[in-house]
Amino acid sequence: MLVDATLIERARGGDEGAFSEVVQAYRRRVLGTIYRLIGHRDDVEDVGQQVFLRLYLSLDQLRTADVFEPWLHRLTVNAAYDYLRKQRRRSESRMSDLPEQVVQLADAAAGSGRQHDDTEKARIREFVQGLLASVSEADRSLLILKEVEGMSLKELEQVYHVNENALKVRLFRARQRVLKVLSSRRESAQGADSRG
Amino acid sequence: MEDKTRTNTEEGLERELDTLFAAYRLACPEPEPSPNFMPELWRKIEERRSVSYSFTRLTRAFVTAAAAICLVLTLLQSTLKTQPSLYPQTYVEALADASADDSPVYSEVSFYDIGGGDNYQ
Repeated sequence: MLVDATLIERARGGDEGAFSEVVQAYRRRVLGTIYRLIGHRDDVEDVGQQVFLRLYLSLDQLRTADVFEPWLHRLTVNAAYDYLRKQRRRSESRMSDLPEQVVQLADAAAGSGRQHDDTEKARIREFVQGLLASVSEADRSLLILKEVEGMSLKELEQVYHVNENALKVRLFRARQRVLKVLSSRRESAQGADSRG
Repeated sequence: MEDKTRTNTEEGLERELDTLFAAYRLACPEPEPSPNFMPELWRKIEERRSVSYSFTRLTRAFVTAAAAICLVLTLLQSTLKTQPSLYPQTYVEALADASADDSPVYSEVSFYDIGGGDNYQ
């Protein structure tokens, strides 16, 4: 734990100073997780504030300070889901409002924008996000928490309230799906290389 | 031989995926929160608090008004019960009283001799 259990108990009791300290201790970690879950930086801080707002409103429901971190992880994952769902609805409605030609122009502009963003990190982000797009939102967050955030199965059990075996099955299936996409991409890249 | 090649390919892909996930973690570093993070968070908390406070006040006012109406109705009902009623009898009782006299209409049964009673002897 990044903070002492007594600090969390004080925050639970309504001590605003203690709550601020808890936020300051965890905000970087929370923002990092959100960034990896939603994939872009613009709204990370806004979603992070949503997480801590929900934490503030629900802190009195926390049974013990021991389960604070899984609780915070769960709030983080839920807030990221909500954000992604809203974004999808917004982009769907935006795209459905536009005529075909404008959509094509937007795609072309996005493509040229990507060309400008030629750093190695951006390329990796785009590539991994493309791979992760092959699984559901729930499985994507599970994979990110396990493989990228490095959470153990025990920790994930507490976040998802699902037993270890069920989590292993879900992780295995999600990983297999991602591997399949990776394999097909590699094959198509090799095909392009051999043609070239 | 073919199986071995396939296993090697799968293992290679597994390793590549692990490397990609590790690289993704480095490509998405923990963002530094802006100096406005805490003030903005407290503004949102205050905003939510004031909304829930108004809602609590509204709910309390509604409950108080409902309790007052219940009290008034209960008092009104008990007051009406204690007052002498305009009609002390029910309709059936009043009807029974009105028709109660000393010569009941159907008190006697009349027997009529329709005759021919001895014809069967």
